[in-house]
Amino acid sequence: MARRFERTRRGVTARLDEDERELVDELLAEVSALLDDGLAPESDPLEALVGITEGASTPEDPALARLLPDAARDDPEAAAEFRRFTERGLRQRKRDALATARATLARPGPLVLDAGEAQAWLVALNDLRLVLAERLGLRTDDDAERLLAEADAMAADDPRAWMSAVYDFLTWLQETLVTALSDELQRRDP
Amino acid sequence: MASPAEAEELAPADLTGLDVPWVTIVWNDPVNLMSYVSYVFQSYFGYPREKAERLMHDVHEKGRAVVSTGTREEMERDTEAMHGYGLWATFSKDS
Repeated sequence: MARRFERTRRGVTARLDEDERELVDELLAEVSALLDDGLAPESDPLEALVGITEGASTPEDPALARLLPDAARDDPEAAAEFRRFTERGLRQRKRDALATARATLARPGPLVLDAGEAQAWLVALNDLRLVLAERLGLRTDDDAERLLAEADAMAADDPRAWMSAVYDFLTWLQETLVTALSDELQRRDP
Repeated sequence: MASPAEAEELAPADLTGLDVPWVTIVWNDPVNLMSYVSYVFQSYFGYPREKAERLMHDVHEKGRAVVSTGTREEMERDTEAMHGYGLWATFSKDS
């Protein structure tokens, strides 16, 4: 049974049991693979240098589109231009955060995170939840309420029941991490 | 084709257009936690907790909130940062 994120003198700590570790690690790896654009960093040295993605467009996979959303409404040209210049960097930063979270999971014992690792976990957990939510069809506040109402009635072998339980677990975990980090913000800036 | 007199009349409006600030908008979604959105507004923009929470409630209840104002370049930077946090943000000219 997991123990929530807490601020201690050693850093931000939490405890996950072996099954939970494996599950979260698997999800982190999956989302990282989703964000992999398959472009070798050196495929075009100039593009890699300035971080431009030629021909980048809104991802067809809605979960990926949620991680890399259009930056302008009603202005496809501005959205495409923004994507061209920022998408590669954004993908890389998200994958770095996921990799950092995985690296801390690989350490033995309870999780003990420094400030940078805690930030990486915060963002990584959010990206995991965004992807799961899209797979569960959660797009509006009404969807969220409907899912909550339906979840109890779902058969145990319904894959959505399991996914929904994982989503709830990650939500709880992220909430405890936000709380731990918010306490710190308040102390820094009363 | 515009005569010089007409062109002069148009000029002030064009200049005003350049002065119109740009905005970064964060849109509501069912996934991002209210506490998380408030945390992001405090830690990225440096807003006091009260302001961050007011903006967070606007996003949640009105569906969107203008979270920053400035030049186009600044708003593109803020939008990119919000996407980094997984928030659903866009930039546009203030209207």
